[in-house]
Amino acid sequence: MTTGRKLAIGVFVIVGVTAYMAYLGASTGWQYYLTVDECVADARALAEDRIRVGGTVAHQSLRITGDGRHAAFSLQGQRHRLPVVCTGPLPDRLSEGIDVLVEGRLDASGCLRGEKIIARCASKYESRPARATAQRAARAGKDGPE
Amino acid sequence: MNTLGQLALLIALVASGYAAFACVAGSSRHRAIRRSGTWAAVVAVAALTGVTGVLVRALLAKDFTFAYVAQYCDRLLPWPYCLSALWVGQAGSLLLWAWLLGVLTMAYRFWPGGRPSPIRRTATGILIGNCCFLVAVMVFAADPMAPSLSTPSDGAGLSPLLHHPVMLIHPPLILLGYAGWTVPFALALAALIVNRTDTGWIRDARRWALFSWAVLGGGILLGGWWAYEELGWGGYWGWDPVENGSLLPWLTGTALIHALMVWQYRGGFRKTSLLLAVGTFALCNFATFLTRSGVFGGLHTFSQSPIGWMFLALTAGSLLAGVVLVAMRRSPLQAKGTIAGIWAREAWIAIALAAWLSLAAAVLVGTALLPASSMLLGRRIVVGPDFYNNVLIATGLLLLAATAAAPLLRWGKPPLPGQWIVLSVATVAGGSIAATAMVWGVRSPTALGVAGLATATAVALAGMLAADARRGPMSAPYAKRREYAGFLVHLGFVCLAVGVTGSSLGTRRQEVVLSEGETAPWAGQSVRCTRLIRRELPGKVVEEVQLDVFRQGVHVATLVPGQHLHLLQNEWTTEVAVDSSWRGDLYAILHGGAGEGRVDLTLIENPMMRWIWLGGWIAGAGALAGLCTRGRRSRPPPTVPAPKWIGRKQRNTMAPADDGYQDTRP
Repeated sequence: MTTGRKLAIGVFVIVGVTAYMAYLGASTGWQYYLTVDECVADARALAEDRIRVGGTVAHQSLRITGDGRHAAFSLQGQRHRLPVVCTGPLPDRLSEGIDVLVEGRLDASGCLRGEKIIARCASKYESRPARATAQRAARAGKDGPE
Repeated sequence: MNTLGQLALLIALVASGYAAFACVAGSSRHRAIRRSGTWAAVVAVAALTGVTGVLVRALLAKDFTFAYVAQYCDRLLPWPYCLSALWVGQAGSLLLWAWLLGVLTMAYRFWPGGRPSPIRRTATGILIGNCCFLVAVMVFAADPMAPSLSTPSDGAGLSPLLHHPVMLIHPPLILLGYAGWTVPFALALAALIVNRTDTGWIRDARRWALFSWAVLGGGILLGGWWAYEELGWGGYWGWDPVENGSLLPWLTGTALIHALMVWQYRGGFRKTSLLLAVGTFALCNFATFLTRSGVFGGLHTFSQSPIGWMFLALTAGSLLAGVVLVAMRRSPLQAKGTIAGIWAREAWIAIALAAWLSLAAAVLVGTALLPASSMLLGRRIVVGPDFYNNVLIATGLLLLAATAAAPLLRWGKPPLPGQWIVLSVATVAGGSIAATAMVWGVRSPTALGVAGLATATAVALAGMLAADARRGPMSAPYAKRREYAGFLVHLGFVCLAVGVTGSSLGTRRQEVVLSEGETAPWAGQSVRCTRLIRRELPGKVVEEVQLDVFRQGVHVATLVPGQHLHLLQNEWTTEVAVDSSWRGDLYAILHGGAGEGRVDLTLIENPMMRWIWLGGWIAGAGALAGLCTRGRRSRPPPTVPAPKWIGRKQRNTMAPADDGYQDTRP
């Protein structure tokens, strides 16, 4: 067997193993990425699936417990709102009016049981509209110097 | 000042456009046009320097008549963060990128020792043409000089998450890396355009590729450091589309550096090298599309502007140009019999290239799955970290194996008997360490594989050093200094792999609620909540908790995690506390409740984190050493015999026909 052929087989094996490992990872870790309106419209079909929903935390809906580990709020879409309950570490920037991604599953009542919240980075490339006060006002004992 | 800046931006646009045209299109007979093109490029870069200077002055002086300054600065912002506002916004980051590219263009064009040649002229034209593109994007879509509609008394300020020293370095390094990868692209395209696809362009391309690789890699690593210290989730890499975007050109760039070596020493991988140079540049622009298009859902991306699509068009255009030109020049790019055998170094580089490119392809597929599934299936699908981690384990172990073998392999020949012995010893040592780790209770195949291969690499390097020392303690390392620089980078890569594996597999998290004076067990230690602290600083309120960590009754560390309320933005940020040692990091996050006398904490033990940063430093030092070494000229450049009618004096000063030379070091 020539060196070229040996190498071709080696490269083929590498690509094959990589593709197989990628398939294994994707088969357990994939999820639908939805807007609030899509999620509300397809709530029944998505009941068993792990989903990631992007939307804005609706005004006057955010409630955070004192330990900062549990949050309940509504995700605002173009036409619909989606109730969300989350348990676990919450992002610093979680506040009303910001864009977030919530990963979790829908329960029977159509509420999204979030396991992870990602607040989209306020950092770069586009200024955000100036937010008024009331951010994190819902967090008990954390409303700054009075 | 706004008007002055806008005028300078327009001058930069016109001058860079003309310079690109004159340098690329000016044929060898139109010397005046070529020369005017070079000077137009100088004018364009000078104008860009002026615009950058105007914006920097406005940021430092907090001149809110500039809309950009009003968006990203405020009166209380310390001056280093005012300066960092230059690269946190859309327009400012584009300006910095264009300016850096302009400076690199000038450095490439006027670098001492570089002789004028068709490749250099054309590459300068391509570089300044890319600069023109960035300036055009600013002029038509993101003007950094735009005036405020009404001058506010104070600005909106910088996001509190960016108040971190690493943010003063990380974004400029990423942008400098992107600008740097334009040079190998321009060289490859210029070599194809002027049909000089010999090894002449490789010396410059290798040097610039190494520079860009080191800078981009440093930028990525610093981004991980910032995420680790600032985002407060205990990790440093989340496989976010934007993180993936910057990783992709780094992966293909690594492949490019290795492919260029095979071309230089063995004459192979010619088309691969050229396509990798084009592809790496295209991926830099694709990363910008990811960040600024709003198509991809992720941590960073929220911008929805037409700018992203302009960069996607540039990505497609550069790929198309590269593929067409390589197809047109395919006959001089043919190489046969360059891989001498399966145990020759070039064969292992081929295997490593397959691993690097497989990893890059998987990251690209995972990142682009969202828009692709939306278009093809009507449903948007994303993949989680498992997808990327699985691929990384498979390709990473293979790359570690290639890294272990590299010092003992030769170009075009199998290893010498002595090298075979060292290779066997390294294999046995690696296997022994893996077996010992298994006896100690390590069960993860990845951890065992990394431990074994890291040991094998260390033994192989030690064996090579010992063999060289026998030939002469100083002369051998000096003669092989460029090779040694490469192996230093490999050593850094191994340290990085050890750190990533250790920190990924050995992390232990614990959630605790503590009152003042209370103690809780934590990972074989005990942690005591000593006191709760609340203080007010200019512009923010700080809540902290002092934690004292004891191991077997001995005080080993004090951690002070906190939460800061930034009054201007009315935004809380988590400030984690990290105690770092070679064993691992003790990482504490304060969640809330300090005001109630009880604190809610997450305590994380991240083993071997220092190895990651150490690996980065070692790899950086290796890259710097590689940049400082020159390849030996083993053969003088070819010369053209002068016609007899030329005088002797003229004949002696006649330039060689080709601007290149071949570094044929074995």
